[in-house]
Amino acid sequence: MAPKASKPPKAQPKAPEPPKEYPSISSLHQDLYQSSRPFLTLAQTKGLSSLSPTEKSAYANSRFLETNVWKTWPSPQQKEFWAAVEKQNIPIPLPKPRDLGKDSRGQELGTYTVEEYAQYRKRERQLQGLRRESVRFRDRREKIPDGEVSEGAIEDEKNRRKLIGLLQGKRMGLYEGNPEWDDVVPIPQDDGEGALAQIAYTDEYAEAMGYLRAVMAAKEHSPRVLTLTEHIISINPAHYTVWLYRASTLFSLQSSLTEELEWVNEVALENQKNYQIWHHRQLLIDHLIPTISPEAVKSLEESERGFMTQMFEQDGKNYHVWSYRQYLCWKLDMFNDTELRSIEDLLRKDVRNNSAWSHRFFIVFSDPKYATQGSKATEYDSKIPEGLLEREIEFGKAATFEAPQNQSPWNYLRGVLRKGGRELASLESFAGEFVKIGEGEEEDVRSSHALDFLADVWAEKGENVKADKALGLLGGKYDRVRKNYWDWKRAGLKVGGLKVGS
Amino acid sequence: MSLVSGPGRAGTSSALPEELQLAIEPHVKYIQSLDTRKDELEYWLTEHLRLNGLYWGLTALHLLGRPDALPREETIDFVLSCQTEDGGFGAAPGHDAHLLYTVSAVQILATVDALHVLKERGKGGGRLAVGKYIAALQNRETGTFAGDEWGEEDTRFLYDALNALSLLHLLDLVDVNKAVDYIISCANFDGGYGVSPGAESHSGQIFTCLAALSIAGRLDVVNGDKLGRWLSERQVEAGGLNGRPEKLEDVCYSWWVASSLSMIGRLHWIDGGRLTEFILKCQDPKEGGLADRPGDMVDVFHTVFGIAGLSLLGFPGVEEVDPVYCMPKKVVERVLGAK
Repeated sequence: MAPKASKPPKAQPKAPEPPKEYPSISSLHQDLYQSSRPFLTLAQTKGLSSLSPTEKSAYANSRFLETNVWKTWPSPQQKEFWAAVEKQNIPIPLPKPRDLGKDSRGQELGTYTVEEYAQYRKRERQLQGLRRESVRFRDRREKIPDGEVSEGAIEDEKNRRKLIGLLQGKRMGLYEGNPEWDDVVPIPQDDGEGALAQIAYTDEYAEAMGYLRAVMAAKEHSPRVLTLTEHIISINPAHYTVWLYRASTLFSLQSSLTEELEWVNEVALENQKNYQIWHHRQLLIDHLIPTISPEAVKSLEESERGFMTQMFEQDGKNYHVWSYRQYLCWKLDMFNDTELRSIEDLLRKDVRNNSAWSHRFFIVFSDPKYATQGSKATEYDSKIPEGLLEREIEFGKAATFEAPQNQSPWNYLRGVLRKGGRELASLESFAGEFVKIGEGEEEDVRSSHALDFLADVWAEKGENVKADKALGLLGGKYDRVRKNYWDWKRAGLKVGGLKVGS
Repeated sequence: MSLVSGPGRAGTSSALPEELQLAIEPHVKYIQSLDTRKDELEYWLTEHLRLNGLYWGLTALHLLGRPDALPREETIDFVLSCQTEDGGFGAAPGHDAHLLYTVSAVQILATVDALHVLKERGKGGGRLAVGKYIAALQNRETGTFAGDEWGEEDTRFLYDALNALSLLHLLDLVDVNKAVDYIISCANFDGGYGVSPGAESHSGQIFTCLAALSIAGRLDVVNGDKLGRWLSERQVEAGGLNGRPEKLEDVCYSWWVASSLSMIGRLHWIDGGRLTEFILKCQDPKEGGLADRPGDMVDVFHTVFGIAGLSLLGFPGVEEVDPVYCMPKKVVERVLGAK
């Protein structure tokens, strides 16, 4: 038996063609375009004359489709035409793909992947919707009197703008995104070609400054100005004009100055070197004092002292704080024991703190309770009580024992003696405790300042040989960097009658 | 002029040569480059010092013998753009006027020999408008000056006022005697001067007080020996000078202290050789600029005061500086007439 002729193998069901991968949206568009014009392409590649009659006819119909010329024909002819198109299976030719343009970062949209482009279109549609809503919000608000837009609506709009910023891939500015600032048109920096807006990391500062310029131009003093200036100060506390504008806004709004002081405390603690802040503080105090009771003034003295103590924990020699403290002493009459104790605490921590020494001199010798009014720091004041002079001399002496080579108490002692009209010689034996340079003694100098002091004592007493020896040692051994100064003093001894530092 | 610090660091570029030189060319380039750094946040955050910065940069260039290193017309235009309606000057266009910037404006115009532009293009009728702005800031009771209409007082402002007014030949607008009395009241028990009566002695404030007294022709009220003693004590082991006792040395005090000593004729009381060495160690010889101390970032403030300090010390190749005005001596003589 002849084997049955085997059947030709059954055609396997054709595997579905894997979806074609496109590297970019523009390549997809290009492909769709090409596949919508098979006969036109055929004619182009093979040449019209080599086409078969059927192909030629399909080509002609494609052309009619592409040029839309069929629309001008009478309707029976159109019908016939469409029947042919269907029969020949001619696709409708697509228009040539247009350039998709660029995104906000300047990238060609055509280079997006198909997926990315779909996302992009979706985002754009969302954005358009949000922007329409936002415009509607602004329109509504313009028609409604101030303050009558509900908080909820404003909150919604804020979120809407956040979303717009997010979808744009570029965060909206803090003020641009806040409906409460819609009525302000920021004034950009006018400083030559400085294209500030393009500088990414100064955006926040530049935007805030733009709004500040605008509110200043409009002389606006409102609560939102306080928020704005606080923001700018947090970025740049050295901006003098911002502080001034903030102060004038506070005063015109009659805002709570004690609250402001508390806020300024924080800023000062974070910005040790800043000095604009201290002038601001003085303005606040000047305005505050006339409005509060004597008890409140007393507690202000305490809280201010507490704050300055905090400042001094970071830098006990901060010149701005000390200047402010003297202003405050006059303003609040702080010539009292608490102030003196507070200074002593600082000196206990650092006996070399010249600022604290200087302040002590000020507190002790300017106290209006006994000091001659207007007596200069360099002048003798007959009104200073003897007991007080003694106290200060003992205070200075104790500090020199603690740190003999510390010039502050030595200068202080000279200052006290001068105020009390006493001679340097009154402290000769005290200074002598730090210095052994006599004949036959083993030389021992524990403080060049003591040696300097003694040289002046001896010159004062006319003991020139001893003075000359001391000055020689200072210039030649203990303070060589100032040799010329010591030599000059030695020369003065020879001329006689030279007094320095008394 | 930008106040942005760096990029250079003092005294770190490789090994310093045995014999320290002043790196003039790098310093000039450094100052010229400052205005091109607008893409740095610090450039914008220091806007409130812009006019001071221009004065510092310009003065440094003049002292380095390169007066033409900044474009003159642009310099003048910028200064004028900072003037406000009241005749004073702000730190930058749109800023409020303040004495600190008004004096810089006058100094810059004087340095580039352009005070006459105030008449041609200034606000409110020329130099008199500037003079009146300054004069209105004097406290007629005490004699001192506020920095602006807000009333903060400081011996710095007093000096700024006398400095600018004298360059404008308008000292008559203010009570100079009262101003002198005020300075006298700021003298401290240690011989120095502070920001106000009773305030701690500070080398910077001493400079302003002495310079103001010099302009007033009243250095006779100073106890020069006592003050010179305190000032000379500012030199520390490293050779540099500090501003107050027990503080670190800093190049800018090479100016405040040395110019003060110079004004009272006692500059020789400190060791000039060691101070020179200290200043030179504070420069970045490659990238240019000076810092407060070796190892720190350079900036234009320390650059000008370091160079001015070298000038006081007679360093070769540096133009002579006027200790009262911190401007080239030639310029001061041209404006005021040789003394």
